[in-house]
Amino acid sequence: MTTERELDEILAEIGRQHRATGAPGRLESALLAAVDGRRSSIEKPRMRLRWVLAAAVLLLAAGVTAGVIWQAREVHRPQSQQAGAVPGLQFRPEPMPPSGRVTGRQSPRSNSALTRRGGRVRGGLRDSSTKKATWNSLDEFVPLPVSEGLPTAAELSVVRMRLRGSDLQQYGLETPADAAGQTLLAEFVVGEDGLPRAIRIVR
Amino acid sequence: MFERLRRRRLDGESSDEQLHRAARAGSSEAMAELYRRHGGLVYRFTLRMSGNAAAAEEITQEVFLALLTQIDRFDAGRGALSTWLCGIARRQLWKYLERRDAAAMFEFDEESAAELQCPSDGPAELLLRGEAVAAVRAGLDELPPALREVVILCSLEEMNYEQAAQVLSVPVGTVRSRLHRAKARLAGLLRREMANTERKRQ
Repeated sequence: MTTERELDEILAEIGRQHRATGAPGRLESALLAAVDGRRSSIEKPRMRLRWVLAAAVLLLAAGVTAGVIWQAREVHRPQSQQAGAVPGLQFRPEPMPPSGRVTGRQSPRSNSALTRRGGRVRGGLRDSSTKKATWNSLDEFVPLPVSEGLPTAAELSVVRMRLRGSDLQQYGLETPADAAGQTLLAEFVVGEDGLPRAIRIVR
Repeated sequence: MFERLRRRRLDGESSDEQLHRAARAGSSEAMAELYRRHGGLVYRFTLRMSGNAAAAEEITQEVFLALLTQIDRFDAGRGALSTWLCGIARRQLWKYLERRDAAAMFEFDEESAAELQCPSDGPAELLLRGEAVAAVRAGLDELPPALREVVILCSLEEMNYEQAAQVLSVPVGTVRSRLHRAKARLAGLLRREMANTERKRQ
């Protein structure tokens, strides 16, 4: 037992001397150099990855923006098309001379044919909150009830056409009793989308 | 300012876990502090086991580079960083010892070591203390590595059995039995040394 106790004491003494030994200082600097080297080698790919991610985010944002714009146009388009489904003729007006005056005459070839004497309309249309148009004045343009809900036209043209009095009903207009069987000469205010906005009876 | 705050956080009072997190984030200060804390243990262990300062330095450096490259493998919930580092050092060390002297690695046999008998007690008081210390130290160096590492960890580094078991990746019972056998060998060596000294005096 004495030897075991002696051995434990000796081991404790060796242990004290043993633990007095520290880590070599030169290894610390070598280790730190390795840390710095590794960090820089890691950071380069990280920076590259960040750039790639940034580019991807930009592309995604551009795609989303384009999608939103396209969708907005798509939403807009059906409205126009829906409005265009309202009974009526599709107008393809040609700009009138810069004078802006309506100078055209009806086409002698056909009653329903359009005479394209378009022109820009200056001034506003008379507001009509009712669906039934009134015909108190032959000089004024009357907004067509079927044009309600259409987007505001940036450019308006005037086209002249000949039609029967009874045809006015398909534009939501009340046809005067005496004009039902007559052939009328009318001027339509047409937007750049080809849809009529207002009408005026010329004769 | 952030650098100053970061440095203040990574002082000597930071836990190993905090330092480990900072080192994972790439802090060289945290790595330096971890080295100052545990580098000595790793170096002493490898030096005592290999008996070669250059090899001990090389292995210590490899251990901390491994800490740098395999830092995600350390799980603080499974054990202390010191034992994890010692475990890495031990694996590196055994590779080194295998390269150096393969025969020494197979010298140790658990069964034959268990049969070691201690010589009869002798007059320890007749042996000078310095001679006894030198004899034990020499005997320690001559122990098979599997016994030597247990003595180094438990007796010299004052690790408890659980910590040593973690480093050695063996059950606690194995640590106990190996330590017992190692001490029995050293005690036998010490007794023989004592007897020789007494004989010389007579």
